[in-house]
Amino acid sequence: MQTKISLVDFGALARRAGLTLTEEQIATFHGAFGHIEAMLENIRLPTRGREAEPALTFDPEGFQ
Amino acid sequence: MNDLSVTTSFPTIAGASADIAAKKLSPVELTTHLLARIKAVDPTINSFLLVTGERAMADAKAAETRMMQGTRIGPLDGIPIAHKDIYNTAGIRTTAHSRQLEQNVPKADATTVAKLTAAGTVMLGKLATHEFAFGGPSFDLPWPPARNPWDPRHFTSGSSSGTGAAVAAGLILGGTGSDTGGSIRGPAALCGIAGIKPTYGRVSRSGILPLAYTLDHSGPMAWTVEDCALMLQVMAGYDPADPAGSKKPVPDFSAALGKGVKGLKVGVIRHFHEIDNPASAATLKGITDATELFRSEGAEVTDVTLSPMQDYFACGFLIMIQEAYALHEKWMQTSFTQYGELLRDRMGLAAFLTGADYIQAIRKRRELCLEMAAAMVGVDILLTASQPAEAGLIDEVPKWNFDKPNFTMPFNLTGYPAISICSGYGLGGLPVSIQLIAKPFEEVTLFGVADAYEKATDWRAHRPKLPMG
Repeated sequence: MQTKISLVDFGALARRAGLTLTEEQIATFHGAFGHIEAMLENIRLPTRGREAEPALTFDPEGFQ
Repeated sequence: MNDLSVTTSFPTIAGASADIAAKKLSPVELTTHLLARIKAVDPTINSFLLVTGERAMADAKAAETRMMQGTRIGPLDGIPIAHKDIYNTAGIRTTAHSRQLEQNVPKADATTVAKLTAAGTVMLGKLATHEFAFGGPSFDLPWPPARNPWDPRHFTSGSSSGTGAAVAAGLILGGTGSDTGGSIRGPAALCGIAGIKPTYGRVSRSGILPLAYTLDHSGPMAWTVEDCALMLQVMAGYDPADPAGSKKPVPDFSAALGKGVKGLKVGVIRHFHEIDNPASAATLKGITDATELFRSEGAEVTDVTLSPMQDYFACGFLIMIQEAYALHEKWMQTSFTQYGELLRDRMGLAAFLTGADYIQAIRKRRELCLEMAAAMVGVDILLTASQPAEAGLIDEVPKWNFDKPNFTMPFNLTGYPAISICSGYGLGGLPVSIQLIAKPFEEVTLFGVADAYEKATDWRAHRPKLPMG
């Protein structure tokens, strides 16, 4: 499964993350990232409202 | 290949405990026997990273003294166990099976280790894991990966690989595991033992090296359901050092053992194992046989439909790699190649994700949690596979397996208690399994149903055939 991000852009993203990778290592991540993009599509629901909260919520009483 | 030879030379925790209580079994003799067995067998299966022989004998002698004085602490007093090597052990090397922590010696025990020690257990050592409970089976680490005692050419699953292998091989009577996406239930399934991931918050995570904070669970693995209940009894309970710890009272986890399933309602998530990730014939037979058994014993069996398993897997996987990457970020930036290839490549995918991606995943998580809660209204137990099939060859495990969602992640995502138990043997004599799931904090019901199945079958009569019996 191909990612929509180019290999060159992928290298830039790796550097932004502070990773020092060889071309081969960047290519490994690039080759797998299409599957991650499919997962990202899966979790994004177009009909989900703005008010839909995450599973993890802040509880100030938890720190008392 | 195994001949499924029946043997009685492997005591269970419950059996050994009864014999110790009756002064028929010496903890020192049991420990000596197991240390010799580890020496003979473990070079074949690599389940131990470190054997703590001196500590074990000291623990055993103390337990034997209590036995003779009639001051036994409880059912685990004198029982030999070992810990997955992500559990901190004071003064004893704890490596996470990683070069990054090769020299790490914690100053304090994990809460669960301290509890099990206080209960009188005998610590035999530290057990193999996938690197930091995620990357494995790896062949580029300081120690080899654990191998399946039913056939050492095969995988154990992970990440509690050493615990699964050591229990099945009869090297320990029980052990600790951790489960972020299936790391207790996977090795329990492929090694043919019992392993429970309790409800999130039931057991302290304090002192256990984390993988993903909101998905990590600690739990026991043992040969039988009853043994898991005995271990969980000691491990469970509120710990203020764990921010996610639950203050719910700890019930008697053995209360429903032997009580059967009459009147319970079992929901089969058929599409998980028939459509979403079609299971092997032997695995499907185990599920069918279990549903027939439950029905014949007086349970009502119905089908339950959830979102496709891939929805749960995608959500859980994205959360897992992002939480893991956050805590490994510095080392990923400064010592990338100190990790094994599998861990750094699996976890490193998170470097290319955004904060919005994480928030979208935990918004999805809420929806899936609500869906599962609604599906369990009027249902006591869910049933599906633990693993799709028998164990594959260890050197053919792929780095990534995106197309086949796993059966265990849905219950890390929702935090529900889930147990894997042996449901037979497939091709080549390797075990297959079923997974049972209960509502949050309903481990008593879960143990009761799992025990009813286990006692109605004869799968516990078989052990792997290894060099020393």
